[in-house]
Amino acid sequence: MQLNSHYPIIIAGGGPVGLTCAALLASYGVASLVIEADSSYCSGSRAICVSRRSQEIMGWAGASDALTSKGLPWEGGRSYYRNTEVLHFTMPHDETQRFAPMVNIQQYYIEQFAHEAAGNLATVAWNHRIETVKHSATGAALTVRDADGTVHAITCDWLIACDGGRSTVREQLGLALEGMQYDGKYVIVDIKQATQRATERLAWFDPPSNPGSTILMHRQPDEVWRIDYQIGDDEDPAEATKPENVLPRVQSHLDMMGETAPWTPLWISLYNAKCLTLPRYRYDRVLFAGDAAHMVPIFGVRGLNSGMDDVGNLAWKLAMVLRSLAPESLLDSYSTERVAATHENLAYGAKSTEFMAPPHRGFELMRQAALRLSLENPAVRSLLNPRQSLPVEYVGSALNHGNPVGELRAGMVAPDAPFLEGYLSQHFGKHFTLLHFGAAGQAAHMHRGEQGIASIQVIELPQAAHTLAWQRYGASEGLCALVRPDGYLMALWRSVEAVDLTLAMKACTR
Amino acid sequence: MNAHDLDTAYTALANATHAVGREQESLFLATLALNLIAQHNDLHNVLNDIAQAQRLAGT
Repeated sequence: MQLNSHYPIIIAGGGPVGLTCAALLASYGVASLVIEADSSYCSGSRAICVSRRSQEIMGWAGASDALTSKGLPWEGGRSYYRNTEVLHFTMPHDETQRFAPMVNIQQYYIEQFAHEAAGNLATVAWNHRIETVKHSATGAALTVRDADGTVHAITCDWLIACDGGRSTVREQLGLALEGMQYDGKYVIVDIKQATQRATERLAWFDPPSNPGSTILMHRQPDEVWRIDYQIGDDEDPAEATKPENVLPRVQSHLDMMGETAPWTPLWISLYNAKCLTLPRYRYDRVLFAGDAAHMVPIFGVRGLNSGMDDVGNLAWKLAMVLRSLAPESLLDSYSTERVAATHENLAYGAKSTEFMAPPHRGFELMRQAALRLSLENPAVRSLLNPRQSLPVEYVGSALNHGNPVGELRAGMVAPDAPFLEGYLSQHFGKHFTLLHFGAAGQAAHMHRGEQGIASIQVIELPQAAHTLAWQRYGASEGLCALVRPDGYLMALWRSVEAVDLTLAMKACTR
Repeated sequence: MNAHDLDTAYTALANATHAVGREQESLFLATLALNLIAQHNDLHNVLNDIAQAQRLAGT
């Protein structure tokens, strides 16, 4: 394909994070070039669990309808010790929620739906490999090799590195992830097999089918099972991933479950948990997101979902800076907020990993004790809970304004609730939103701008018609909440009279 | 004890067990168990807990 010599925005990496970033930017009218080394969407299903928060973000990108119509929703799971159920957990959910707590779907579908949502404003250069990157205060210069071997010299004003765990951009900037890796290894297998089982997270510890191992299973669309199983410390990883060693273990477990339909293997890979991050995610005009910025253990499904939150946070800020609506310093808040979120995700991920792949004998002994006790003592069963991904609060962000009101604090994700024929969250994503919990007409004058990302749209929520929204916000008469384009609460006031939008928007505007 | 505190204690005990090393592991756990028993005021429950742990250790 013909590449220009300069682009305002280049996204390195056409995975789910990079393509969702492109789609979010497109939703703000911002064009981007996505450079992807592979020839198309990923092979193998890879990340499969999409959280409610990520579904919201994909909704703002224009991809949630395709995602939820193809994906399999789920809201809980079961854990077994040997063949006895010891935990049945459910995530908060009811019929008034816009999205299920989780949706299972193959990563290549996520990439396809995000790409389609991005439309003509995103150009994807498949089969193009970034070779060198030089950055400065005004942008970045890249060399990119195409499939024919031709090297292109390209410059950009902003480079967004979404090029995964082995990020070339990160390596070219001389940066290294900091943190630790765990030794415990899991084989990841996708198989195609029809089943009548419900969609839920299934975990077995020391199952009769594979004594001493831990096995996780998730259903995916198209009659695909994801099976993760732990291998012993003494097993050779290369041998462990050979089909002749994988398939008998899978067969044994399917037999134990009573899943008798014929099956075929689709994809085999190996995984070990990592808790790694860059110290910051902005280096001049290079911004890191997803696995290029951090690697979070898969247990608790925080990998892809934290990457989605990265670009949900980044896209609106970058769009404002590009349109000269905000100073470049707004992008420092991207780094600060998301690095803090990563540290929280890593802490939860480490906890989950310590149970799922005990890093030393102390954790191994404690796990054996917890599993045995969980058969008889419900009080210890919480230790088996997988700590599923939840939105992270941006505590202490420079963008937060105002004091807490009741249980609400600036920096929290704005609660969703039914509104008109849809949901409040459908009105976030494109601009700032001022929610007013009170009589209609009192806050309408605070509407700012006709459209565009810096405008402030006012939504009035009289109590009689919006009892659920009042309940979820813990609202009292007069509460006003300013919501950022990424659905985070930015400012709170107890009354319309107290609202000072100029002060609240100071950190976001020129 | 709530789930968060139990989780914290679980991690602390796992790391302490690792830190004392394999040779001292049994003595460490026995010392801890005795200390926790001494803070308990119901012998009947303590004896039940000992019997339960003994039974589960054999499974």
